[in-house]
Amino acid sequence: MLLQLNNIFKWVNSGGQRIFLLKDINLEVEEGEFISVMGPSGSGKSTLLNVIGMLDGFDEGEYHFLDESVHNLKEKHRSNLYKEYIGFVFQSYHLLDELTVKENLEMPLLYKKYKGAERKAMVADMLDRFNIVGKKDLFPTQLSGGQQQLVGVARALIANPKLILADEPTGNLNSQQSEEIMALFKKLNEEDGVTIIQVTHSEKNAAYGSRIVNLLDGRKV
Amino acid sequence: MIKNHLKIAWRNLLRNKAFSLLNVFGLSAGLAVTTLIILWINFELEYDRFHDKIDRIYEVNNQHQINGELWTWNSTPKPMAPVIKEDYPEVESVSRFFGDIEFLFTHNNKNLKAKGTIVDPDFLNIFSFPLLQGEVENVLNEINGVVITETLAHKMFNDKNPIGKTIKIDNSDIFKITGVLKDLPLNTKFDFEFLIPWSYLKKKGHDDENWSNNSVTTYVMLGANTSYAGFSKKIKALRKNYDKSSPEMVTYLYPYARTYLYSKFENGKEVGGRIDYIQLFACIAGIILLIACINFMNLSTARSAKRAKEVGIKKAIGAPKKILIMQFLGESILLTSIAAVLTLGIVSLVLPYFNALINRPLSLNLTNVWFWLSAAGTVILTGVLAGSYPAFYLSAFRPSKVLKGTIQKVNTLVAPRKILVVLQFTIAIILITATLIISQQLNNTQNRQLGYVKDNLIYSLMEGDTEKKYNIIVEELLGQGAVSSITKTNSPVTESWSNSWDMEWVGKQEDDQTLILRMHADNAVVETMGLELVQGRDINLNKYPSDSTAVILNISALEHMGFEDPIGQVIKDNGTDWHVIGVVKDFVFNSPFQKIEPLIIEGAKGWFNVIHMKLNDANTTSENLKVVERVFEKHNPVYPFNFEFVDSAYANKFNDNKRTKKLTVLFTILTILISCLGLFGLASYMAENRIKEIGIRKVLGASVNTITTLLSKDFLKLVLISVLIATPISSYCMNKWLESFEYRITVSWLTFVQAGLLTISIAFVTVSSQAIRAARSNPIKSLTTE
Repeated sequence: MLLQLNNIFKWVNSGGQRIFLLKDINLEVEEGEFISVMGPSGSGKSTLLNVIGMLDGFDEGEYHFLDESVHNLKEKHRSNLYKEYIGFVFQSYHLLDELTVKENLEMPLLYKKYKGAERKAMVADMLDRFNIVGKKDLFPTQLSGGQQQLVGVARALIANPKLILADEPTGNLNSQQSEEIMALFKKLNEEDGVTIIQVTHSEKNAAYGSRIVNLLDGRKV
Repeated sequence: MIKNHLKIAWRNLLRNKAFSLLNVFGLSAGLAVTTLIILWINFELEYDRFHDKIDRIYEVNNQHQINGELWTWNSTPKPMAPVIKEDYPEVESVSRFFGDIEFLFTHNNKNLKAKGTIVDPDFLNIFSFPLLQGEVENVLNEINGVVITETLAHKMFNDKNPIGKTIKIDNSDIFKITGVLKDLPLNTKFDFEFLIPWSYLKKKGHDDENWSNNSVTTYVMLGANTSYAGFSKKIKALRKNYDKSSPEMVTYLYPYARTYLYSKFENGKEVGGRIDYIQLFACIAGIILLIACINFMNLSTARSAKRAKEVGIKKAIGAPKKILIMQFLGESILLTSIAAVLTLGIVSLVLPYFNALINRPLSLNLTNVWFWLSAAGTVILTGVLAGSYPAFYLSAFRPSKVLKGTIQKVNTLVAPRKILVVLQFTIAIILITATLIISQQLNNTQNRQLGYVKDNLIYSLMEGDTEKKYNIIVEELLGQGAVSSITKTNSPVTESWSNSWDMEWVGKQEDDQTLILRMHADNAVVETMGLELVQGRDINLNKYPSDSTAVILNISALEHMGFEDPIGQVIKDNGTDWHVIGVVKDFVFNSPFQKIEPLIIEGAKGWFNVIHMKLNDANTTSENLKVVERVFEKHNPVYPFNFEFVDSAYANKFNDNKRTKKLTVLFTILTILISCLGLFGLASYMAENRIKEIGIRKVLGASVNTITTLLSKDFLKLVLISVLIATPISSYCMNKWLESFEYRITVSWLTFVQAGLLTISIAFVTVSSQAIRAARSNPIKSLTTE
């Protein structure tokens, strides 16, 4: 088992009222799964993803990640955990505009204290694998959306995470680019055994996954 | 990692050129001011500290109760030094210092005026003025030996060896050069080109044993093992056995090292002095640097929207907060370093002007290791100070917040930034008010009713034969019509050289020890100086020969002495009965910043140093001066004719205050400039951040005017708060400053209104330019590019 959520609640207080963002969520994810989280706007998809990714906390419930009890961990420990095992892919790519493709890919490795030669090899390997060697010295703004997201996925993968969290990875892309990215996800999942959780609006994209989780008003349905 | 940080920092700098320029320029302006002030402070703190035995050197002061107040001053009687040497074995060396004198040096028909003094042989033992030629032990031992500086030696003898050469001093005595001094450094109070031994004074009969005549400075150097505390108790009662007229007067040793920076005494206690200015300017330097740092913080955090994404991504990828803080601090240090390089350029460019302004020979010592160490220290300190707030602010962003697709807009004017803006403008307003009040005080004093006519009035110091031939000089000057009136006095009309609390008159109270200024004038003093008679008449020696013991009072003196009918009253002074013949209106005799003190003008029986001449109004000044010069050169041929216009001598009294004013103006302008740079940056970011809001408002029908007002309002509110905070502070400070002048303006509330309005309009211009630009942009663009 990769991770397990037990009775997770998350809320905000607004005008004396408690508004639930997540309500009694239970979820088990096995290694090698490809899960699509679906639901209308405001149903709590992104919040759930952030909680799983440990970027956001929750108010009640238990969260186990690889035998660690996340709800009992201190901030520092938690960030070490997600640094080690989780890679993020964002809807609007979130590449650093000031850095080239190569440098963007290298960045996660810097924070994991890889040596210079090692970093170079890993970046080269990733450029090769995603077929973007020719683009390595370009800045993100010089790339198309699909290419940027390709770099985004490559960056998420570079440190060999166990889990990829993708928040509407194709939301800003046209249909052809979307298909390419989804095909890439499927390949990563099937061939490399990477666990993937994606948030999506599109039935078509959800179909690439092995399981669909539907949310409505913060509840699993 | 560091490479990656540097890369991001550098590309960020280049991408936001305007922001970077604002920041670098603001910081380097602040750093430049700080550097200049630190250079100056350093110079002042090192002043006169180069003497090897500085810790053992003391200036002899007196302390005495006068009218219930303990006065402290540093002139001593001539016989004191020998007594100290004789009675106190703890004292290793002692020397008198006669005060500045000017002598005419003659060698082979070459005449040169030189400035110097008369000292005891131990002088060069006490103070470290190295000799290039001659031995410290004996250069001042010959009665007719003189020690001169290398510059004077060069002027007199060119490149020839001066030792053993003879010169004639003041056209009377022959002296032999016994030693050559290295030129004095610029950071010493002493300013002399020659030293003559005390034995010469003795030989000429000018030495005296009079303990009431406090006229020379006495320096002592204690033995290496003498404790100051113990010895100062011992020497306290020195006068008891010697001074018949005031045996209770306390002799007090004041450390020489403190004389330059402190030496202001109030009721026997040291209360500061020049050090006050040093502390004030250190404060100003700190404040200006702080303002520059505040700018940096404001601009950096205002740009946080742009950096938020970077922080979010890095955190999501796994960057610990610590590393992000380091990154932002590093960026700020990088920016500060760039600013520091620019600062070096600015400082070396500005230094000559600054030196002229403060009248000091400051220089950048680029070969000094300490300079570079302290520069590096300042850069790191400033960088950390300026970067700390942005670093902690930015690194605290929560990735889940900033990465939700679109980045939320960050409000430009959040609370901490507001406080920083208020702080900046408070300082700026205080400085503006200070500038206004200083110039009002200066103008007011400059326009003060003098009580005498300074136009066309010149004075000349009496030298050589002028004393002897005075009568014939007067006759010729008046006869040739160059001068309409002439009088000789003991001091120029702009300076008081003599006073006493010893005068006696009928009805004087017994414990009255009020100091009364004393002037001497032989004849026609009222006419020459244009004084205004209230009662009686001018001194007229030709008509009334008894006027040699006449005296004229000013109104303050009359009021102090309390005569009902002053004419004919007798004032006893210096063993003479002076009879009052007239009363004049008060006139400014000493400092124009002080209130007028009681003054008496005693007649021809006194002593004289100066000739005052009223030039004939009928001729041009240059014609008059030509005649005057010719007459003086005819009767006093060896000496070149010297003279001074009274109006320029009077104007010189304002030099210090003019300098203060110029410095304040300079610092005020810089503060405003730096503050406005910051405000400009903030306003432009605010306009950028609210572009969508502006677009919506315009679509809904808002005019450019209403939007400009909307955007400017928030900033102007802050400046208004600054006005409210600054007004009481500056009112307090400036009233405190004005208290140091007896003749002063009262601060009007209009001044604060002026300062406030000025600041608000400057701020408005700065902000509204950005606001108008934002308000005029096309809403279609801002609304579709979301």
